[in-house]
Amino acid sequence: MATSSSPPQSDTEVVAERRGIPAASFVKDVQAYLDQLGLDVNSTLAFQQERLQQYKIVEMKLLAQQRDLQAKIPDIEKCLDVVATLQAKKGTDEALLTDFEVSEGIYSRARIENADSVCLWLGANVMLEYSCEEATSLLQKNLENAKASLEVLVADLQFLRDQVTITQVTIARVYNWDVHQRRVRQASSSQD
Amino acid sequence: MQQAGGGSETEVTWEDQQNINKFGRLNNRYHELEDEIRIAKEANENFEDASNELILTDEEVVRFQIGEVFAHVPKDEVEMRIEQMTETTTKHLEKLKDEKDAVVAQMADLKKVLYAKFKDSINLEED
Repeated sequence: MATSSSPPQSDTEVVAERRGIPAASFVKDVQAYLDQLGLDVNSTLAFQQERLQQYKIVEMKLLAQQRDLQAKIPDIEKCLDVVATLQAKKGTDEALLTDFEVSEGIYSRARIENADSVCLWLGANVMLEYSCEEATSLLQKNLENAKASLEVLVADLQFLRDQVTITQVTIARVYNWDVHQRRVRQASSSQD
Repeated sequence: MQQAGGGSETEVTWEDQQNINKFGRLNNRYHELEDEIRIAKEANENFEDASNELILTDEEVVRFQIGEVFAHVPKDEVEMRIEQMTETTTKHLEKLKDEKDAVVAQMADLKKVLYAKFKDSINLEED
């Protein structure tokens, strides 16, 4: 997917793109930028606005992914808790009594004796049986993967928001520059 | 190059842009932290309510939520679990509050720098 192997971002380095998101080029001088693009002010503004819209769309997508991951992590932690409790009970000779939800508002009692194995829902209508230790290590691995993905996602979002800010500042500067040019032209033409 | 007044010709250097970007990131983080702190405080309040209820009840076995089910757990174990959870959440809350203070301080510094350079041309206040 991403063709560039972007080096870790430092304060002085400029990254050309990150995981498919193009970086917004910083404009040092508005006049030079307009000359380089070869477009007039309105076209430039339109181009920047379009870029901004595209960034916003990607931001929505990333935010949705972030919400999903943030919901998934507490779920995995709850599962780990349950497996740990089952393992703890295995040592003693007592059965574990639990009340579980059969349907909304309806609960039933279950008696779990010596849980040697648990079944884990893997998604796509698939459920596998694991020993308690295997289940713990699988869930732990899933948890770590989820947390790592979340970190990368957060970094992507930060990069994206930076590009949005740069684009917004560029739009403001081009617009101001245009206003300033008009004032200068009006002032010089009224002097003639 | 700089026009006196109006500020419409103020030069924006790459350093300024990076400062503006950093301020944006800090502002976002600040709002996220506020939300997380609120959630942690609510959790602590719930734990406190739960442990108060625990003291009032005279049952020996309490139905304690583990995952999605309610396990029958002896009262002492429940008390211990709630204590552990409260401790974890309190530590987490402290960490969040410290981070929030750091973020607020950095934002104040950046505001000074940016307002000094751009004066009226920039607005860094919450709408």
